[in-house]
Amino acid sequence: MARILIVEDELPINDLIKKNLCLVGHECAQVFDGNDALDAALTGHFDLILLDVMLPGLSGFEIIARIRDTGTPVIYVTAKGALADRLKGLRLGADDYIVKPFEILELIERVDAVLRRVYGASDTFSFDGITVDFRSRLVTRDGAEVELTPKEFDLLEALIKNRNLALSRDRLIYLVWTYDFDGNDRTVDTHIQRLRKKLGIENRLKTVFKTGYRLEV
Amino acid sequence: MRMRFWQKTYILTLILFLFCLYLGLFSLAFYTYGKNVQNMESVCRAEQDYLLKSFERDYAAMTEAGSASPSLLMESYGSFYRGKQVLLQFGTEDSVIYSTFPKDAEPDSKSGTLTQIRIGGKRYVLITSDVCDGNYVLRYAKDASSLDEEFRALMITYAAVAAAVSLVLAIALLFLLKKLSLPLQRLQKATEAITSGDRTVRADESGKDEFADLGKSFNQMVETIDGQMQKLAEDAERKQMLVDNMAHEMRTPLTSIRGYAEYIEKAAVPEEEKNDAAGRIVRESDRLKKISEKILDTAFLRNNPVKREPVDLSFLLAETKERLSGKAEACGVTVRSDLQPGRADGDPVLLSLLFDNLTENAIKACAEGGTVTLSSSGRTVTVSDDGKGMTKEQLSHITEPFYRTDKSRSRAEGGAGLGLALCRQIVSSHGAEMTFESEPGKGTQVFLKF
Repeated sequence: MARILIVEDELPINDLIKKNLCLVGHECAQVFDGNDALDAALTGHFDLILLDVMLPGLSGFEIIARIRDTGTPVIYVTAKGALADRLKGLRLGADDYIVKPFEILELIERVDAVLRRVYGASDTFSFDGITVDFRSRLVTRDGAEVELTPKEFDLLEALIKNRNLALSRDRLIYLVWTYDFDGNDRTVDTHIQRLRKKLGIENRLKTVFKTGYRLEV
Repeated sequence: MRMRFWQKTYILTLILFLFCLYLGLFSLAFYTYGKNVQNMESVCRAEQDYLLKSFERDYAAMTEAGSASPSLLMESYGSFYRGKQVLLQFGTEDSVIYSTFPKDAEPDSKSGTLTQIRIGGKRYVLITSDVCDGNYVLRYAKDASSLDEEFRALMITYAAVAAAVSLVLAIALLFLLKKLSLPLQRLQKATEAITSGDRTVRADESGKDEFADLGKSFNQMVETIDGQMQKLAEDAERKQMLVDNMAHEMRTPLTSIRGYAEYIEKAAVPEEEKNDAAGRIVRESDRLKKISEKILDTAFLRNNPVKREPVDLSFLLAETKERLSGKAEACGVTVRSDLQPGRADGDPVLLSLLFDNLTENAIKACAEGGTVTLSSSGRTVTVSDDGKGMTKEQLSHITEPFYRTDKSRSRAEGGAGLGLALCRQIVSSHGAEMTFESEPGKGTQVFLKF
């Protein structure tokens, strides 16, 4: 999907971000200090940069000032959560600001949001002969159109965007039904059942015990 | 209405002064008047005495000539004295023989008295005495209206003087007090300015009076408070930085712990990757634990006195060397020692911790093949290495909590940047001294003096 540069001096956190972004289909490169980050950002043609602020060598604020001309969107990922730092980061041209400790799903959502804002919505996603067109909201299975209700389509989209990660029912309700939800957890279950049936993806769309549902592709 | 100090002083002084002035002037006026009355009375007495004597002499002469007519004699006296503004009455105890008094104002005073009476609105001095061996009574009344006129003139003069003096005083006092209270007003303005946040304002110190002293004291007070405020602000800033750093330091492992736990929970990944994630959770939890322990240790040391006992520094250093030789070997660093016995008072556990920390830092600073030397002599301990050393800038920060000279490397080795902060606390709670000498590329020496 997108080529993302992860700049973070803490190896475990850098790995964590990479693992999760790879799960949902992004391609990641890792650097661990400010100087390497600047080189990589200037030469690597990345779609997005996740940037820690406190780095050995150049700081995140210094890096963003120097790469602004490339037009690459930047999301800060930092433990500096004070309002002043947020404002400074955003004023310097960051596209978003994520404070540690963050939720994985939130990170993915913010990354998607920035990518969508900068590059527009991704066109299609295909697996097992199923093609999902996000623009026209059409789903075909082996060339034949599958009819989905709007909520079913939203649910499928949320599962694809967070693929390989388990989504709780609460999370799905938040992502799909947002505010006008007047059902209960069973509503989610029935929609999942219908998706499985219509697309024949019982082996892909799995129930994760005590957690929720996960699309594994 | 709010009255200012100088206004109160002005009004009170003015009232007091005017009261005294008028009291004085009027006392003087009445004294002068009393004197005038006395003068007038003695003049009257003399005149009446003279009148009496000449009358008796004339009467005696007439009696000798055999034609004694007191009324006739009296008539000539009466017309003579009328020209001198004197009224006369002559008679016996019961009847008036001759009188120049107006009809409606015949006096009947007792013989031998001096009084004042009013006739027709005018004041007279009335003297009554016996004549001709007590056969007759003569009343003499002298016009004394000049007394009243003089008194009125006196009062007018004094009132004019008083009014003029009052006016001059009122004006002069006003300017004087205003001028005198000027420093006080300036001081008040300065106080207001300082209250509203302007710290550069100072009070007027010129002059030699109490206001100048007050200004000086005031300025000293402002400076002292200023200094203390600054210290407080710096203190608060340092504490804020410490809290910020601490939050950052604790958030970092927390991010990993939370993230990997979520990863295990949600991600569809193979078993070995899940194990790896779990391992990372364990390691990061340990790190968090270490940070909190060190923070607690430092806080504990700050708030509790150290139990001291005599210890052999060289013995503790030898122990440290033994404990850390494994780690040093793993890093390819040699630990040497040059230990002379030396005694100091302290807590052996804490001192061991101190030596361990310093030695560990020294080992970390060394590249492979480096050497760390522990030496002691008397009450001095030196830990030196031939590692990468530090710049002056780095040296000035190293005992601050969470400061690290090499962030990425220190974290990879599990440091939190709290070791030297703890060391400093141990050293200061032992009343010892710790100094550093370092040069980039040449190594670092730590000197301890107990």
